[in-house]
Amino acid sequence: MNRVLSSKRGRFALAVVTLFVFVAVFGALLAPQDPEASSTEVLEGPSGSHLLGTTEVGADVFSQLLVGARVSIVVGFSAAVISAVLGAAVGLTGGYFGGITDKLIDAFENWFLVIPQLPLMVVLARLLNPSLGVLIFVIGITSWAGTGRIVRSQVLTLKERAFVERARALGASDWHIIRRHILPNALPLIFANTVLIVAVAILAEASLSFLGLGDPTSISWGRMLEDGFSAGAPSAGAWWYMVPPGLCITVLVFAIGLLGYVFEQQLNPRLQEAVE
Amino acid sequence: MGDPTAQLARLPRATPEEIQQLRAAYGLDKPLLGQFADYVGDTVRLDLGISQRTRRPVWDEIGDALPWTLLLVGTGTLLATVVGTWLGIVAATRRGSRTDDSLLGFSLFTYSAPEYWIGLILILLFAVAIPVFPAGLQMTPGEQFESFWAQAVDVAQHLVLPSIALMLVLLGQYFVIMRSSMVDVLTEDFITVKRATGLPWAKVVRRHAVRNALLPLVTLSAIYFGFVMGGVITIETIFSWPGLGLLEFDAITSKDFPMLQGAFLVFSVSVIVLNLIADCLYFVLDPRVQSA
Amino acid sequence: MSLLEIEGLQVHHQGRPIVAGVDLAIEPGEALGLAGESGCGKTTTALAIMKLLPPALIPSGSITLNPPGAEEPVKIDRRTERGMQLVRWRHVSLVFQGAMNALDPVFRIDAQIAEAIRLHEPRVGRAELRARIADLLRTVGLSAVHGRSYPHQLSGGQRQRAMIALALACRPALVIADEPTTALDVIMQAQVLDLLARLRRELGLALILISHDLAVLAETCDRLAVMYAGRIVESGPAAAVFAAPQHPYTKRLLDSLPAIGGRRGVADPIPGAPPDPHDAPEGCTFRPRCPYAADVCLREPPLAEVLPGRRSACHFAPWENW
Repeated sequence: MNRVLSSKRGRFALAVVTLFVFVAVFGALLAPQDPEASSTEVLEGPSGSHLLGTTEVGADVFSQLLVGARVSIVVGFSAAVISAVLGAAVGLTGGYFGGITDKLIDAFENWFLVIPQLPLMVVLARLLNPSLGVLIFVIGITSWAGTGRIVRSQVLTLKERAFVERARALGASDWHIIRRHILPNALPLIFANTVLIVAVAILAEASLSFLGLGDPTSISWGRMLEDGFSAGAPSAGAWWYMVPPGLCITVLVFAIGLLGYVFEQQLNPRLQEAVE
Repeated sequence: MGDPTAQLARLPRATPEEIQQLRAAYGLDKPLLGQFADYVGDTVRLDLGISQRTRRPVWDEIGDALPWTLLLVGTGTLLATVVGTWLGIVAATRRGSRTDDSLLGFSLFTYSAPEYWIGLILILLFAVAIPVFPAGLQMTPGEQFESFWAQAVDVAQHLVLPSIALMLVLLGQYFVIMRSSMVDVLTEDFITVKRATGLPWAKVVRRHAVRNALLPLVTLSAIYFGFVMGGVITIETIFSWPGLGLLEFDAITSKDFPMLQGAFLVFSVSVIVLNLIADCLYFVLDPRVQSA
Repeated sequence: MSLLEIEGLQVHHQGRPIVAGVDLAIEPGEALGLAGESGCGKTTTALAIMKLLPPALIPSGSITLNPPGAEEPVKIDRRTERGMQLVRWRHVSLVFQGAMNALDPVFRIDAQIAEAIRLHEPRVGRAELRARIADLLRTVGLSAVHGRSYPHQLSGGQRQRAMIALALACRPALVIADEPTTALDVIMQAQVLDLLARLRRELGLALILISHDLAVLAETCDRLAVMYAGRIVESGPAAAVFAAPQHPYTKRLLDSLPAIGGRRGVADPIPGAPPDPHDAPEGCTFRPRCPYAADVCLREPPLAEVLPGRRSACHFAPWENW
C-alpha cells in the first residue's frame, strides 16, 4: 500500500476511488432532493434548484447521480469478489492437481473465455428476474476465467519451488500446502487482478442496466442513461442528463484501472520473492 | 424461469386450450430433458425457432440483421485498426514524450468509457447540436432512392456516427498493443542493422519495424472479439441500427427467448470464427510459424 | 592517403568518457585487429565510425574516410544523418556482434541483400541483381536455397555468414567485423576467419576485426591495436606485437592465452577488472592492475612511438624482456 501512495498516479487514483466510495455510502444523505421525486419541470437544463437539470419526469439529475453511485460500487466490488474467489479456486485446483482435472478445468475455462461476456450475461439475466443480487451473480460467474488462468500459471511456477518440495517431504497434506504455501504467494497477484475485474464489473453493471436488465428498484448510472435515452433526451439535447452518468462511470473505471495498473507495477519485482 | 407463454397468455382472450396449443407449438409441454434434446437437434439443423415478438423464424430475422451488423463492425474495426496502429507507431517512436503520455491517457480514457455513452455524446454533438449526421437508423426513412449509389451514400452517412463510436472503444486496445509491440521491435538488433545499411529511419520503421510489430497485434486483438460483440449490442441500440444487436435489445425488452438464444448462438459462433480467421492470418504473415 | 583516419576520437556518456582519445589509421586493403576486454570501447569505436551511436553517447574528434574513387574525403564527424545514409554500407559496412537477430525475420535472405544493393545502386537490373546475390552467397559458402530461406531456418553459423554476405553487398572498401566469431564453435570460427582472409585477398577489402580473443586476431590481421579503458595502449604489426609486446596489458593478454603443447594448467587471468569510465584512476588507467606500476605511472603515459612502427602508452616501453 505504501508503494501505491508513493507514486503520483497511485495517489490520484486512490483519491478518486475513495471519493466515489464515499459518495456511494453517503449519497442518499448528500442528495439535495429526493432522486425519485418527479415534478413538472421536465428535461430542464441546469439551474439554481437543479444543479444538473431534470430528467424526463422532472426528477433532479444531480441527486440521482449521487445515489446511483451506490449500485455501481456495490455491484462492482461484490461481483469482483465472487469472480476472484471462483477464479482463484479453479486456478488453484487445476494448477496444483494437474492431470485430467487440470485439462478439464482448462477446457471449461477456455469456453468461458471465448464466449462473449455481454451476450452471455444478457441471456442469464433475462432468464432470472432482475435484481441487484442477480446482477452480482451474473457478472461474477462470467468474469472468473481470466483470474483462473492467471492463478493457474502462477501456481504452476510455485509448485516447483523448493519450499513446496520441502513441505511435501515433511509429509504435509495437499490442502495444507495450498493454504499455507501456495495461496499466500498467489494472493498479491489475485488482488491486483481483482482490482481490474472491479472496473470490468462496473462497466458490465452499467451495460446491463442500460439494456434494462438492471435492478428496477434502484437508481443506477446505467439506468439513468437508459431512462433518458428511451425518453428521447438525446434528441432534446439534454446533455446535463446524458453526460454526467457516463462521465462518472468513465472516471471511476479509469481511476480503478489506473490503481490496478499501479498495483501490478509494484507487484512485478515482488513476484520473485516468496513467503516461506 | 419466465415461461414465455405466460406472457402471451396474458392476452385477455386466450383460452386454456389456446394456451395449451401454444405450449405444444413451442415444445414447452415436453419434459425439460426433452426440450433440451429438441434444442440441440434444432440448433444443428439451424432451426432456431420462431421469434415470439415478430412471429417470424429467428433464423430469418438474424439473416436480415446480420449484414448490417457486419457492415458496422467491419467499418468500426477497420477504422480502429488503422488509427490505433498509426497512433501506436507514433507513440512508440516518440516513447516517453508528452505525445506518448497524452495518447496513453486518451486511450485509457476511451477504454474506460461505456460505448453507448460515447454514442450518446456523438449524437449530442454531431446530430443535435451541430446537425451534421443523422442520429439513428441506417437509412433516411421513407426516402426513395434513384440509384444504388444514392442509397449507398445515405447509408454511409448514417454509418458515420455508430462506427466512430465503435472505433473509439476499440481504439484504446489496438493502440496500446501496437505501441508496446513497436517498442519491443525497435529494440531488436535487426533494426540497428537496417539503419546501418543506410536505410532512412522512416523506411526502417515502416518497412521493417511495423511489419514485425503487426504480428502480435493480430493474435492479441483476437482476445477482444467477444468485447466487440458486447459493444455491438449497446451501440446498435443507441443508433437504432437494424443489426443483430438491436434484435438482441428488442428480444430483451420483450422477453423473446428463442431470439435471445439464437442471437447468443450467433454471437458465440462469430467469435470462434473470428478467432480462426485471426489464426489463419497470423499463419500467413509470420514465416516462422509456417515452417514450424 | 589512408583509407580511414581517426584522430582524437572521444565518446562521452553523461560527461564521462567511454572512448577517451583514439587515433587510428587504416590503409586500403589492410587488416587491423582491435583487441581488448569487454567494455573497453571497441564496439563504441566501431559504432562511431558508422555514426550509429545511440543518442546518449556523444562523439567528438575527427573521422575521415577516403573511399577509392571519391573526389573528396568524407568527414564522417561532420556528416548529417542524410549524408551518412549515402556512406553507410556503400563505403563502410559493419558485421554486428551476435548475428542471431541481425536479420529481419519476415524477409528472405536474398531479399534483404537485394534491399541493400538497390538502396545504393538503384539502377541495377534484375538479372544483374540476381547474379550478384548468387555470387555473394557463394562467396560465403551459402547456397541459393539458403538465399531463399528465412533467417530462422538457418543455423547460427549460416546466419553469421549471411550477415557477412550482406556486409559485402555494396562492395565497400572497409568492413568492420565486431566479434564475428563469438558464440560460434571452434570449427565455425576457423571457417569464418578463413572466409574473411580470403575475401580480403580476393576483393582487396580493408578490415577492422574486433575481438577480445587475441588468438582470433593473430591469424587474420596485419596490424594490431590493443585497447584498454577507452584508449589505445599499444599498436603495431601483428606478428611483432605477439612476439614482443610493448605494454604490460598486452603481455598479460598474451599470457592468458592457453597454448597447445604449452604448460598444462589453468590460464592466468588478469586480476581485477577494467575501470568504470565514471571512476577512472589517476594517470595510467592500467596502473591499479599492473604488476610493474611505479610512481611515474601517476602521470598519464602518452601513446608514443617506442620502436620503429611500434607505439605504446607505457612509461617503461620499449620492453626488451619481461
